[in-house]
Amino acid sequence: MLCDDITLAPTDDRRLAAPSTACPRLAASLASYSPQDANRKPAIDGQDTDLASALSHATAILSNAHRPLFGGLTTDVAGARALYELAAHCGAILDHLHGDTLADSNRALQDRGSFFTTLSEVRSRADLVIVFACEPSRRYPRFYERAIRDDRDVSVVFVGCDIDKAANARAESITPTTDPFDTLALWSAHVEGGRPIPVAELVALTERITKAQYTAFIYEPAMLPTRHAALAIEALQRIVKAINRTARAGALALTGDDGAASVNQTIAWLSGFPSRTRVAYGLPLDHDAHRYRTETLLSRGEIDALLWVSSFAPEPLPASLDDDVPAIILGHPSTQLPARKGPTVFIPVATPGIDSGGHLFRVDTSVVAQLSAARDVDLPTVAAIASQLAQARRPS
Amino acid sequence: MSLARLKGGTLYDPANGVNGEKRDIYIRDGRIVDHAQGESIEHDFDANGMIVMAGGIDLHSHIGGGKTNLSRLLLPEDHRDDPRAVPDRPNEGRYMRLPSCGVCAPGTLAAGYRYAEMGYTAAFEPAMIASNARHAHLEMGDTPIIDHGAYVMMGNDELFLQMLAANEDFERLRDYVGWTIDSGKALGVKVVNPGGISAFKFNQRSLDVDEKHVHYGITPRDVLKTLTRALTDLRVPHPLHVHASNLGVPGNIESTIRTMDAADGLPIHLTHIQFHSYGTEGPRKFSSGARAIAEAVNARPNVTIDVGQIIFGQTVTASGDTMMQFKNAPMARPRKWVLGDIECDAGCGVVPFKYREQSFVNALQWIIGLEIFLLVDDPWRVSMTTDHPNGAPFTSYPHLIRLLMDKSFRDEQLDKLNADAKTASALGEITREFSFYDIAIITRAGPAKLLGLKDRGHLGAGAAADIAVYRDDADRERMFTSPAYVFKDGELIARDGTLLATPTGGIHYVSPEYDRAIEKRVREYAEANLATRFENIAIGDDEICACCNGGRLLPVACFAASGS
Repeated sequence: MLCDDITLAPTDDRRLAAPSTACPRLAASLASYSPQDANRKPAIDGQDTDLASALSHATAILSNAHRPLFGGLTTDVAGARALYELAAHCGAILDHLHGDTLADSNRALQDRGSFFTTLSEVRSRADLVIVFACEPSRRYPRFYERAIRDDRDVSVVFVGCDIDKAANARAESITPTTDPFDTLALWSAHVEGGRPIPVAELVALTERITKAQYTAFIYEPAMLPTRHAALAIEALQRIVKAINRTARAGALALTGDDGAASVNQTIAWLSGFPSRTRVAYGLPLDHDAHRYRTETLLSRGEIDALLWVSSFAPEPLPASLDDDVPAIILGHPSTQLPARKGPTVFIPVATPGIDSGGHLFRVDTSVVAQLSAARDVDLPTVAAIASQLAQARRPS
Repeated sequence: MSLARLKGGTLYDPANGVNGEKRDIYIRDGRIVDHAQGESIEHDFDANGMIVMAGGIDLHSHIGGGKTNLSRLLLPEDHRDDPRAVPDRPNEGRYMRLPSCGVCAPGTLAAGYRYAEMGYTAAFEPAMIASNARHAHLEMGDTPIIDHGAYVMMGNDELFLQMLAANEDFERLRDYVGWTIDSGKALGVKVVNPGGISAFKFNQRSLDVDEKHVHYGITPRDVLKTLTRALTDLRVPHPLHVHASNLGVPGNIESTIRTMDAADGLPIHLTHIQFHSYGTEGPRKFSSGARAIAEAVNARPNVTIDVGQIIFGQTVTASGDTMMQFKNAPMARPRKWVLGDIECDAGCGVVPFKYREQSFVNALQWIIGLEIFLLVDDPWRVSMTTDHPNGAPFTSYPHLIRLLMDKSFRDEQLDKLNADAKTASALGEITREFSFYDIAIITRAGPAKLLGLKDRGHLGAGAAADIAVYRDDADRERMFTSPAYVFKDGELIARDGTLLATPTGGIHYVSPEYDRAIEKRVREYAEANLATRFENIAIGDDEICACCNGGRLLPVACFAASGS
């Protein structure tokens, strides 16, 4: 969610903790950092080396590649900016770790648009919160704490799912076992066309929405039926838009984790297109969310080098990566390097908000948070490494 | 240090009263300087027979921030259809332009390159939402070459409306305005549909100048009075930038004039006034109110305007005015749109739109914009804008200049339009043609003066050497499309539409003085209502540098204390 109220402090055993924040996701993330991170060295084919050698080896891999993929991309705005120029030099395709979810959200936006709201609006205005087919606390443990004020009278209705036990307000659930597409189709017919539908709970809920001051619709793109999530998002947005003809409502998508929103936004403003775009000097930009999917590219053997960026967590290389495809990993310092046949360069990088400052978009993509370093560990940022790799490619 | 000379050009420099005089210009260290005798000239640029003006300044162009990026994300077809998506400039070399495309919603990189190659050296984002300020600055920082800055939106943020409704002291409201400008690194303040964006969140669907906000009980007039007074008190150079009530509504001339008068004689800038100049005469109850508006502007020396001219074709309208954009949404072409309520602060609405020559309404909008340009007497009070991209993309400027300078071309275009609109129009009878001097006023000298940019928009000694040099051409559109030379801070960055360098632009902002005690009030409000910590709102100097890609900080001085 990118909570901006977290203060990190060093612990007695020289690790990091957030003494005033209870968040299992944060705790798990912090546990991946240790005092040994400062000693993590770059590596070439599993052997420790110095940064200059690693950079020169990485430059060689990129120079020999005709069709590289920049994947993972869990980084901040500065990282995305620097990787964009590097991608232009290499003719690289850009896709994010959460590319499938991003593609669904982008697709729904491109086809229908949206009617959105933001965290503070939900927090201070909504008196009715509708959670559609998801369990926010599972991936966003602090959702209720952040979005619903204890001192306001707010009702939460879970549609197409069970009550999230973590909900801190009056909660109920309707049609928990119904297929989400059936619910959306019927509900849409009702609010859009005023047609009678055989689901009394949805009719009653619609009636409540028209009487509410402001209704917030919460959904998680990653939790919607895979392969068809874009259709579900579109349908939900259509309902929210129709409701706004007479009442007020907005939708908040819980998504954009691990820099997905930040990278998608940055690529979009630089190029015009969102992620899953191929960027090359002298060629038109090519945005194709189907063709430029990491899994598809790797399983079809369509790329000849992978630059894997993973600065928030030690994400493993994609399983579908051929063992002999050259790989460059700009990774979390605790990354376990796999034994591979292909040339493999590892450069440990700073985590924004842990080892370096940075900018990241919050979950609602309306606010950019400024991060600051929480410890003094001398690791280069993704932006610094990408800039040096781009520098090596620039004509002198 | 090395001295360069731009030799033999004909200068149009209205800020210094220079109207078509043949003069040399000397450039040292990025500045225009007087030539000291005996100094050797290291670079000579031949401008004989050419027209020389300061770099263009666009004071209202949606170039960065949430709604601009939503426009890009909404319209991949705009980028795919971009005829300039494939770089076709062999002289530039492969690495001059990073890939970037889009026509009405171009990427930031394409926007910077295109402004610069047209001879523009600065553009200002008019609708920065305070809570989205970092994002806006990040995008502007990625808009190469041109300088930039932003007006922060106020008057729909709940804290302002609460303070106003509670009759808190004016000084507190003024300090809150000062704090908001300062913390967002803004150059001015814009109000969009005063109180209306907030009212829409309370399900109010229209709000006239003297109508009450359904929840707070205050009126748009209250908001306008307070903000104009606050900016005057804070001595911010740019007047309150106003997107008036009732945008696009037939008959809105009346509320537009009442908006002017709400300023009580204090400086006020009415933006994209074309959209606010509609009458209700004729069989279709839609007519030009241009004459009434122009007369109102002529009679009120405190009022400045920019036009928001429409040009026919596909574009996208991106506005903070959720109340009106929701009404417009059924007209979206293609049929998709985005609307959002944002952070108890503002909102945004993105509705793609195609202006058609055969549409009566669109044709009249085109006519109304041109009538306003031609009927307002004082060009210093009119800035040229298309409200990019709402009326048309900024790349339409050369075409618009030709429409203003060339009566016969204007008549040719008028003949292509919906016949009823043409009949209902007085445009054909207006014979005025803008001179180079007029064009230099409405595209650089006027906007620079209105923004308080003392060293921009003119060619006098001490000015930044932002200079555009055009080959004289009877086809003014062609002439203003690709200047022979464009200098940015003394560096030759484009030659006949070919980019030679892509330096990083700087950021213009003001830092007004105010009582910091107001921070306590903002902090309490943030803690109670927002999902953002108070400490994380303000953008510091170091941070703004990072946002702006290391671009220069260009602080703009506030007016000196009154009486001095």
